[in-house]
Amino acid sequence: MTIQHNTGTLPSQEKHLVLLRDGRTLIGFLRSIDQFANLVFHQTVERIHVGKKFGDIPRGIFIVRGENVVLLGEIDMDKPCDTVLQQVSIEEILEEQRLQQQAKQETEKAKVTALKDRGLSIPKADNLDEY
Amino acid sequence: MTDSEQPETETAVSQPQWPENGGQWSDEEGGAGMDECGLAEMAEEDEEIDIYNNETFGMEVGDTEGDPTNPLFKFGEKPPAPPALPSLSPSSPSFSPRARPQLRVQGPPGRRGRGQRGGQAMAQMFEDPAVVRTVEGRPSLQVITTLARSVVSKACREMLFSSYVGVSCNGDVLFTQVGGLPSPRPCPSTPQPLTPKMMQLRFGANSPRPSPFYSPSSNRVQRFRFPGPVTQLHPQHRRLLSQRQQRSQRKPDSWDPYCNLMSAKEKEWIIRLQMIQLQSENPHLDDYYYQEYYRRMEAKLAEEELGMRGKREPPKLTTPYVTKMDSYTPVVHIEGSLGQVAVSTCFSPRRAINAVAAHCPHELFMVLLEVEEGQRMKAQVLGEGEEKGLMEKTEIKVEYIYSQLQHPDLEAEEEFLPCLLVSKGKQLLARLLPFLSHDAALKVLSMVTSHLPVLMSRDADESLPVLYPSLRIVIGGMTFSQLIGVLKDFTTSLPDSSDGSVCLSLVCQSKFGLSLLYALLSQGERLLSSDVPLEPSIGDFETWTDTVFLVASQLSQSALVEPLLLPSNLLTLFCRYLDKRTIHQLKSNME
Repeated sequence: MTIQHNTGTLPSQEKHLVLLRDGRTLIGFLRSIDQFANLVFHQTVERIHVGKKFGDIPRGIFIVRGENVVLLGEIDMDKPCDTVLQQVSIEEILEEQRLQQQAKQETEKAKVTALKDRGLSIPKADNLDEY
Repeated sequence: MTDSEQPETETAVSQPQWPENGGQWSDEEGGAGMDECGLAEMAEEDEEIDIYNNETFGMEVGDTEGDPTNPLFKFGEKPPAPPALPSLSPSSPSFSPRARPQLRVQGPPGRRGRGQRGGQAMAQMFEDPAVVRTVEGRPSLQVITTLARSVVSKACREMLFSSYVGVSCNGDVLFTQVGGLPSPRPCPSTPQPLTPKMMQLRFGANSPRPSPFYSPSSNRVQRFRFPGPVTQLHPQHRRLLSQRQQRSQRKPDSWDPYCNLMSAKEKEWIIRLQMIQLQSENPHLDDYYYQEYYRRMEAKLAEEELGMRGKREPPKLTTPYVTKMDSYTPVVHIEGSLGQVAVSTCFSPRRAINAVAAHCPHELFMVLLEVEEGQRMKAQVLGEGEEKGLMEKTEIKVEYIYSQLQHPDLEAEEEFLPCLLVSKGKQLLARLLPFLSHDAALKVLSMVTSHLPVLMSRDADESLPVLYPSLRIVIGGMTFSQLIGVLKDFTTSLPDSSDGSVCLSLVCQSKFGLSLLYALLSQGERLLSSDVPLEPSIGDFETWTDTVFLVASQLSQSALVEPLLLPSNLLTLFCRYLDKRTIHQLKSNME
């Protein structure tokens, strides 16, 4: 069994990124965990992606229940950040998100109506996780 | 509440003043039913260790000591050893002796069924110099990876066996699954009044080491196979972690006031827990992704190093996950396939699809996996009796798959056809072929060749070539007469057409068909030119010559696709029978 060891300071440069089951992405310093994969995030930022834009909303401290974690990874701050993504302000990204949601709802509604006209009804795959 | 809990409660109630006579209290508790040394000694030793750590590394290890209500950890064993011996390998010898007294702590096995196995595990852990000297990567990274692995591995196991692993304790929650699995089962025991000292000793970094499969206060232990040594990380994994750790060490220290919220002990505890969960008798099945990833990395490294330093074996995971188990695993009983659906309906086309695929159901793959696993295990050194037993089991499974693939109601020649028409079926058959007896394999081969046109035309996703390697091996073991028999099928597979060349022309357009043909011819040539007596039947040679002529003329006339493999002795074969002109044409066509 590999032995945990600490050489004084815990490296604190690493942020972690966690993807939750509801689709949210949180980035912050992972401070504590437990055997259920419950996480304590410090100086968390919720990152919203819409298309090629993204925005960060500062959220403070998060305690995430383990069962809601999809994946968790480390962010290497040293790596060069060569991304095509463009950071925008919070208001803008929220607006973009709202528009995106709206568009999705409209297409969904149109689909449902069309199907209804043909006498079909497809149940909404809302909670895909709970199979 | 169980018997063992009662004395504890009583002592707790009767001795409310805790810090002053904490030692006494713990001793009493020890007398009542804990291990010989008792929690007090452990606590003392822990303090010593903390002092040692603090002095050596200037680290606040005892952070959680002041917090008596740390509810994180609720299990009942004692952490045997200090964490943190980074690159001080010389200190590892001194490390072990300190650990050793604590290993004696593990009480008599019968007592509570507690991890004497756990104790053994830890003994092995600390005696293994490689383990102790390991330099760990950044704690957070390791913790995360072990978390992830255990969760995935857990999920795999849960799915496969749909059973729960774990033990409830004291009305608290099972520690196992993460994710969408049903809610934990609480123990219907009343929570006892816990003094701060009790809490301090039970929870937190100084808590008794977790025995996840046992609770000290409840006898509702669920039997779980707890195999020997604790899981180790793959050497590549360790190397990666140490590299990263070194890299981070070189960075200037920017002190983060929150960076030590989790003590090293706590991290270690969690990692240990997760690693225990990772243990399995079949890591290749349960922890597939991790194993596969590092196996591929190994292979890639081996390739690279092949050029550089000759053949040097990259570090493999030498210690198996688990030492061999003596438990007898009965042949898995699989509910048979659903049988053929008589009518395919438009409301449930899925059933019809399943019916076709039902003859190659998913479960057959599981059995096949087991067979392959058996093969792999055979490569390891096994006792003779076990090997025989394993062989028998393998045979049974193989026969089972074989029989499942056959249709009772189809004619003899068409048995595997539905299976072969589905790409999954092809894969299954390809992987099954090495395990079949020669006769059975020949049967499959002749099946394939006699229905070649159908197969080729229905091979929409080009998955036939997957059968090629296995079939090639089968061909390599054929006798001359068998070969002739198969070749006859090849060239006369369309009884209603006047000449066999329709099939051949189709073959020329198909990679698989062409490669198969080449393989057959190559085998014939090999047999003819070798010294082995052929024992041909009557008419074999004539058929052979005819076939060669037929094939040669067809090949020289039509455009050929590129085969999967071009045997080297084909041209020699043709040279012997044909004139120069034809050979020239053949040569240009085939290349």
